[in-house]
Amino acid sequence: MRMMEAAGKTVEEATQKALAALNLPREDVSVEVIAEASSGLFGLFGSKYAKVRVSEIVTPDKHMSDFLAGIMQHMNISGDVDTKREEDILKINVSGSKMGILIGKRGQTLNALQYLLNVAYHRRFPGDDCRIVLDVEDYRLKREETLRTLALNLAKKAARYCQEVVLEPMTAQERRIIHTALQDNAAVSTFSQGEEPFRKVVIAPKK
Amino acid sequence: MKDLVEFIAKALVDHPEQVRVEQLEDSRTITLELYVAPADMGKVIGKQGRIAKAIRTVVSAASTNERKRVVVEIVQ
Repeated sequence: MRMMEAAGKTVEEATQKALAALNLPREDVSVEVIAEASSGLFGLFGSKYAKVRVSEIVTPDKHMSDFLAGIMQHMNISGDVDTKREEDILKINVSGSKMGILIGKRGQTLNALQYLLNVAYHRRFPGDDCRIVLDVEDYRLKREETLRTLALNLAKKAARYCQEVVLEPMTAQERRIIHTALQDNAAVSTFSQGEEPFRKVVIAPKK
Repeated sequence: MKDLVEFIAKALVDHPEQVRVEQLEDSRTITLELYVAPADMGKVIGKQGRIAKAIRTVVSAASTNERKRVVVEIVQ
């Protein structure tokens, strides 16, 4: 957290000085008045400057986007980090070049980063039941479409050959997409088997 | 690379001032040894090593341009 003290003829002037020095807008800081200005006796003796302490307000959202931006900087990846609150979910979206590195094979790196963000968040703000969803260039959205198409194709295959189809291990979120895609399917049913992190979906024909 | 591990670890522990990373190098691998306060060991390892695994995944993503293999070890 950044903060500084500044003095001026009025509280307002001192605050403005500090804001300029910190390069922050007024709404991102809290101002604490240390000393009011006084004009002294007849404006001659004992006149005092106003003194304020201006500190940056670090919201959880800001804290997390700073953390992610820091990680990306250390990875030599430049990009824009955007945060958006949706009730209990904090959505963080990253866009820029070299985003493939952030995603990794089948979203491996993306999921690892998302997990670390969640852990860091709850270490810093315990008791807050917010969940962080990290996405890079709409990767998750596209992956969802891919998984849905895959689910429908494999369901057809399972029904046609009357055989169970076992998918590759996936995260809980990804398995959920498959289950949801096929929940109203008349020809197949789905369930998961195995232990995390190798749990996988099985598409079985209905008898 | 060393800074990356240090940066991540500091956000996860209760005693960030005791986080230290040593870099060892031989012809084929770079080993990053992560030292944290004894009470914080669990915080960088996680249940069934989940946090340690996530740190390693991020580090190996960051080291794709590195010629050598990068290994992260958590040292007692």
